[in-house]
Amino acid sequence: MVEDIFSVISEPRRREILRLVQNRELTAGEIAAHFEVTRPAVSQHLRILEKAELVTVRRDGTKRLYRARPEGLADLRAFLDEFWEGSLNRLKHAAENYERGYEPDGTSRQ
Amino acid sequence: MVPADSEILERSIRIEARPETVYSFFTDPKKMVLWKGTLAELDPRPGGIYRVEITGNDIARGEYVELVPYNRIVFTWGWEGEDSPLLPGSSTVEITLVEDHGATLLTLRHLGLPAPLIKTHGEGWDHFLPRLQAAARQMPGRCKN
Repeated sequence: MVEDIFSVISEPRRREILRLVQNRELTAGEIAAHFEVTRPAVSQHLRILEKAELVTVRRDGTKRLYRARPEGLADLRAFLDEFWEGSLNRLKHAAENYERGYEPDGTSRQ
Repeated sequence: MVPADSEILERSIRIEARPETVYSFFTDPKKMVLWKGTLAELDPRPGGIYRVEITGNDIARGEYVELVPYNRIVFTWGWEGEDSPLLPGSSTVEITLVEDHGATLLTLRHLGLPAPLIKTHGEGWDHFLPRLQAAARQMPGRCKN
């Protein structure tokens, strides 16, 4: 999921959609009214944003109301946090072994 | 609560080894692969390449920006690839090493991350979207759909 976020938001219209629904709910039609592209094209962008969990959708009768979900972007940060935690723990292990004259597998160096 | 500068990720760790030793694990390809990745290409001078194959598909790449022996290493950072959430050059990692009774206090700061968002209601997007614009401009032809 994290891997997808960047390509999802690299599309200018999707960024514009996120701006539109940043602080309010809008229907697909209301969103489409802001663009010159076709309604199906906007629907396609909305599906991609929804799949990436960057927008939430609320049903109200037959209407589907879209709103930005900023927490979606926090996932990348959480991923990196874990990535660096794991990396630094391995660095600690490797550097401490090296300092003591051992290879990482526990054998003596030289 | 997430602080206002939450686009910075910061982590510290104490390593029972001298700063000289720890430093070399960021500049020597043979030592780099002892803790990160399987293959490293490192040219530790400003503008020199930093490229580490984490797995066959995940390749971290950037450039060294600043090297102060045994004390400070700065490099740009991102992942190579079509679907990279963070492109090479789009963020920066700062490593600071401080000697402490024969050990090293290491602080890692990852700056320029495009995800400061939680709980700021809107402000996060205003902060985030201009960055994305800038990042997207660096990748012509990558837009899908």
